[in-house]
Amino acid sequence: MDQMQLIKRTLDIRKGGEKAALATIIRTKGSTPRKTGSRMIVFPCGRIEGTIGGGCGEAEVIEKAFQVIQTNTPTQKRVDLTKGLFYEDGGICGGIMDVFIEPI
Amino acid sequence: MSSHLFSRLEESIKNRKDTFLLTITDYPDEKLIGAKALLWPGGDFCTEASLLPLDVRDLITVHCNKLVTKKRSGTVRFMWKECLVECFAEYFPSPLHLIVAGAGHVCEPVAEMGRMLGFFVTVIDDRKEYANRERFPNADEVVCQSYLEYFRHVDISEKSYILLLTRGHKYDVISLNELLKRDCQAGYIGMIGSRRRISGVFEELQEDFRDESFENLYTPVGLDIGSETPAEIAVSIMAEILKVKNQKSGDSLSSQIKKFAKMGFHEGAGKWTKCSL
Repeated sequence: MDQMQLIKRTLDIRKGGEKAALATIIRTKGSTPRKTGSRMIVFPCGRIEGTIGGGCGEAEVIEKAFQVIQTNTPTQKRVDLTKGLFYEDGGICGGIMDVFIEPI
Repeated sequence: MSSHLFSRLEESIKNRKDTFLLTITDYPDEKLIGAKALLWPGGDFCTEASLLPLDVRDLITVHCNKLVTKKRSGTVRFMWKECLVECFAEYFPSPLHLIVAGAGHVCEPVAEMGRMLGFFVTVIDDRKEYANRERFPNADEVVCQSYLEYFRHVDISEKSYILLLTRGHKYDVISLNELLKRDCQAGYIGMIGSRRRISGVFEELQEDFRDESFENLYTPVGLDIGSETPAEIAVSIMAEILKVKNQKSGDSLSSQIKKFAKMGFHEGAGKWTKCSL
């Protein structure tokens, strides 16, 4: 039930008045490191809680999450992990995932 | 998500009800994006604000029906007022129910691990000095009742995982008698015991039940990893429960990889469909 714990954290963060964004995998195709429903909280300083799979894909989502925090507008980000089997950072999964990012 | 909606979700899972969390993830009107609601398999709906007009709720319910029947998360898309709505429906299954009968020393690590693995854990024993909160601070439920009474009335479904760790074979017989005559059978029943104890239990039960009744009965409990201490036995038992729940072989993962490695990595790599392998 770690998904529940991350949702609970978003409530605490909002109560504390801190700004952050919540990223949730809403769709996957092919082989991805984490499944639909995996979550990650991103803080403006770059700190994260939870993971949506790590690596370059996650870094792209973190970048996008900064925008979401700034603009206070939810968005979607497509992460493409099909770019080659021996990606430098080990992104060898070969799938695509859509991530929904919303301000907390 | 509002704290009200979250507490509804929490409460629903605690009452062991399947629940879907809905999020609007795409729509031209940005105000609607991120709006959340809860949907239950019976069609009950709960939303955090008046954000979602009634006709949208109805459309969502209809379109999510397939996911609800299949018991899985997914996104649905449909037209509303000539615009495309995308909604993410996330399945929160009610937790599996681990019932540990017999609150002795093996029960302690089993109850702890059960909680760690996300089970709703009930500990039951007919002795007050064993079935109490001091011994099981983290269990979801500690019941002090006779085994007969408890197993006669407790809800049983394929989501029930039952462990008989009682202090004597007559309690196993009493418990199994109640469990096996139910219409709905548990997903797993594990019974601890020596060969002698097990054959004693079977002798008393076999006249009353057909062989199929014993299909979900695992005895002695656990995987063969040479466990001796209570903690080791708990690992062995919980590993078996996961194996049954996930319908896997229980073999070492490396044994599969070795097979692929023999074929040459590149050939083998194409056959790995999951990263987690």
